[in-house]
Amino acid sequence: MIDKPNLEVQIAEMKLKNPVITASGTFGYGEEFSPFIDLDKLGAMVLKGITLKPKMGNPPPRVIETPSGMLNSIGLQNVGVNRLIKEKLPYLKKFNTPVIINISGDTIEEYVELAERLGEVSKDMGVTGLEVNISCPNVKKGGMAWGTDAEATYKVINSIRKTTPLPLIVKLTPNVTDIKTIAQAAEEAGADALSLINTLVGMAIDIDSRQPKLANISGGLSGPAVKPVALWLVWQVFQTVNIPVIGIGGIIKVEDALEFIIAGARAIEIGTANFVNPRITIEIIEGIEKYLRENNIKDVNELVGSMKI
Amino acid sequence: MSFIYNSKVKILSKEKVAPNIYLMSLKAPEIAQDALPGQFIHIKCSKDNYPLLRRPLSIHRIDKEKGEIFILFQIIGEGTKLLANKTIEHDLDIMGPIGNGFNIYPESRKIMIVGGGIGVAPLLALCEESIRQGKEVGVLIGALKKELVIGEESFKILGAKVEVATDDGSYQYKGLVTDLLEKIIREGWLADQIFACGPKPMLKRISEIALQTNINYQVSLEERMACGIGACLGCVCKIKTKDKREYKVKYEYKRVCVDGPVFTGSEVIWDD
Repeated sequence: MIDKPNLEVQIAEMKLKNPVITASGTFGYGEEFSPFIDLDKLGAMVLKGITLKPKMGNPPPRVIETPSGMLNSIGLQNVGVNRLIKEKLPYLKKFNTPVIINISGDTIEEYVELAERLGEVSKDMGVTGLEVNISCPNVKKGGMAWGTDAEATYKVINSIRKTTPLPLIVKLTPNVTDIKTIAQAAEEAGADALSLINTLVGMAIDIDSRQPKLANISGGLSGPAVKPVALWLVWQVFQTVNIPVIGIGGIIKVEDALEFIIAGARAIEIGTANFVNPRITIEIIEGIEKYLRENNIKDVNELVGSMKI
Repeated sequence: MSFIYNSKVKILSKEKVAPNIYLMSLKAPEIAQDALPGQFIHIKCSKDNYPLLRRPLSIHRIDKEKGEIFILFQIIGEGTKLLANKTIEHDLDIMGPIGNGFNIYPESRKIMIVGGGIGVAPLLALCEESIRQGKEVGVLIGALKKELVIGEESFKILGAKVEVATDDGSYQYKGLVTDLLEKIIREGWLADQIFACGPKPMLKRISEIALQTNINYQVSLEERMACGIGACLGCVCKIKTKDKREYKVKYEYKRVCVDGPVFTGSEVIWDD
């Protein structure tokens, strides 16, 4: 039996201790989870999505539970990039875990300015990479509009690529006819990796009041309910592109994470499960290691895309 | 913010105190030690993915000596139904204590506590602490009808003066608990602070009364919640921003879970 299997994976220039990353919007700015886990044990952290200016977000109710999942419509409430740099990043400097900033914008110029700002402080403040959100379903402008059109995807990613040498992960939306064309556009534009999926658009109705349960009417569905969809899309994108794929969508136990890795994910992001069990990331890291040991696999990379058909 | 524990705790007792309303005690020494009146715990009610999310429930009583906490809850959905079906000695996965808690001013002599329906849940611990600090405490309980009046005896045992209002007049004062509050103020019992928890229209009306009478007013709010630790920004409410130079009232969304659940009544924007 393998004593100490290798869990390290590489995404562009980033070396991750293990393939487990926190998903944007589900892990705050990291500090919120420090009472529960050692942030040093994570593969990487993706922080709450950031915009150039602070964003107030959508009116409540913003979250509603659905069978084995939840709908959210937060509307990208965030402190803005300046306060992120001043108030949130200093705390994370003491940890030896890559910090990935998820960025959103209404215009290409905003994405570019965000990438520039974060590039300037990347060494001092420990910004390791960027995850470009072109897939948020809950904002009126920008957001998902970029990620549902291959040409728009190419334009925005290529503009950011020309701005920054930081590793670029592009986060894709599942709300498209053919995710492969969007994935290809992102790769051609210079993305270093793709992460998928963001949430699926959905809604829920209160039958007594006949009003939508979310103030924003629609929201993004996440949680175990979306896992089969996410897995299928990861498998398709894995077969289409030559850059690493990061699997996201309903991962709540180690078996889910392993399914994504076998389907082709070099790393995985854990989202909604953080709300249910704040220690889930660590439990999944330990679970992956145990699986590799028990199956005599000496390197997690051997497992990536190893689905037998 | 205090430290939030996540632990598996034992259910020590369970009692049905009114139709669909249960009182449960838990062995949770660490949480009991740190807990403040007004804080809550976040409970995983199911073993699997349905319901997926935890349920936030107010800490009803805190027994630091025995290391026990109590919750008082109403069955309103799948989560609370599962919780009510748990039996003694069952393990319960909880996180807590969470939130800011009520702020009892040292200089306050008289405290008025107003609970509507299951809204009495966080107020018993507050009543106990107020009395421990030597305050004179009045408690007003509002309910639809007599069978739904919760907690009257528990407050009385602590030494509070308790009055009840029922909408249908089946027990004590007939009418809204906010009308009863106004009557008591008119009769001359003026509190230094009012604390309340209950339906939003009730909380809003008390806010107006507190403003007119210039009494400090703190409310415990609730909102649909996911993480309970300030990360997801799901459970927000509209809170006025402090900038006094602006003519127009400005607001921001604050998290009920860790910025609250207790807010000053005058900073909450109620018009929704």
